[in-house]
Amino acid sequence: MIISDNVCKTYGHFQALSNVSFEIKKGEIVGFLGKNGAGKTSLMRILTTYLPATSGQVFIDGLDVAKHSQKVRQKIGYLPETPPLYTDMSVRDYLRFAAEIKDVAAKQRRRQIDKVLSQCQLEQVQRKTISTLSKGYKQRVGIAQAIIHEPQLLILDEPTSGLDPIQNLQVRKLIQDLNYDRTVIFSSHTLAEIEQVAERVLMIKSGEIIVDESLQSLLNKNQPCDSLEDIFIQYHSKESMA
Amino acid sequence: MNKIYFIAKKELLSNFKSPMAYIVLLLTISIFNIFFFMIIEQNREVSLQDVFQTMEFMFVFLVPLLTMRLLSQEKSSGTMEFLMTAPLSNSAIVLGKYLGILVFFSMIIAMTGIYFVIIEFFGQPDRLTTLSGFFGIWLEGAFFIAIGLMTSSWTQNQIVAAMSCYAILFALYFSISFTPYVSGPIEVFIQQLSTLKHLENFVAGIINPSDFIYYFSGIGLCLIITRISIENRLLKV
Repeated sequence: MIISDNVCKTYGHFQALSNVSFEIKKGEIVGFLGKNGAGKTSLMRILTTYLPATSGQVFIDGLDVAKHSQKVRQKIGYLPETPPLYTDMSVRDYLRFAAEIKDVAAKQRRRQIDKVLSQCQLEQVQRKTISTLSKGYKQRVGIAQAIIHEPQLLILDEPTSGLDPIQNLQVRKLIQDLNYDRTVIFSSHTLAEIEQVAERVLMIKSGEIIVDESLQSLLNKNQPCDSLEDIFIQYHSKESMA
Repeated sequence: MNKIYFIAKKELLSNFKSPMAYIVLLLTISIFNIFFFMIIEQNREVSLQDVFQTMEFMFVFLVPLLTMRLLSQEKSSGTMEFLMTAPLSNSAIVLGKYLGILVFFSMIIAMTGIYFVIIEFFGQPDRLTTLSGFFGIWLEGAFFIAIGLMTSSWTQNQIVAAMSCYAILFALYFSISFTPYVSGPIEVFIQQLSTLKHLENFVAGIINPSDFIYYFSGIGLCLIITRISIENRLLKV
């Protein structure tokens, strides 16, 4: 589904990503892990075509994201770190607009909007103006716009950031449900969350991938560490000591 | 093409979701009405020539207020990322935004159509000249809006966007005042640059191809710069 081949990204003299290579298969749930500024968001933005890579190539479903950005965008649903919401619109109007610009056929639009409203449990607030919604609901509206066109690949940048435990649980459950027929990539600072949702972990440090393994093998390999949090701390303390 | 329409429709409707649009419409029409009656009372002519020139002056102040949020707000609220990861071309975003606000502006112009009805009632105005004047003022507004959209693409800050637009509009509007101090090709250049000079022809009922070229090339240039500005911003992020 995704092939990243030696992707580099620089901002001026700052190297945000260096030679990032990985492959993600269809249907996987992959957790991106890393400290703030590690390069997770840059990598996600390159995958979504929002940012061009300085060098290297990314292929999504066989398409080079730099050359076929429009086609790639049809295959991707993206939730940035801050949900991109038009707060003066109602939830339903916003999703209609998202469906319109994301090529959902006119005949299917209403059905598709109803479907995502139900999937994201937004039926009760569909007529409400987005600015009046709680943070949890706003996050769900953000996810709803990301899946409105039934993308094959879902990229979620810190989807549970700032949510209370209940909202966190609901969004996590939603991500697991959404994986039914698509590939999901998501980043989070909550390691327990990645542990519960992801099948595979990509750990990024200073723009480089330092871990790319299935969660189970990572836990097995790093005994006696019994949680991802311990492994994360171990990897980062190793580096800082060195 | 459809996507340009969807963005334009969203843009137009969003104007009416905040009190800003209503305030701008009400204030603009009220001020235009005051000037219209003052000018008609003073000139005692069934002509809208002076009214058009007053409208032009007002648009120099009004348009930056209408356009300042167009792209700067998208940037500051993060919705630019939504648009630019949707299967949309940058041109569609720029044209959709532009057409949305142009329709809103056209509504303001349409409301001033009542002045034509009033002078028709009291006399026999030169219809073609008046219609040419309406077209000229609309075209000039379309040019101003393209400038506003362009400056809005330069920054996340709406105030900075508005101030940059004011700077360009003032330069274009008042440039004619500098002609007494220069001569030769510079004088001709400044005259050609001045919006005042080009609108004058339309208001006088003179349809001159060079005026069309001025406005359309100005609009085209601003929209192209807006597109480039969006793309360049991506490279810098």
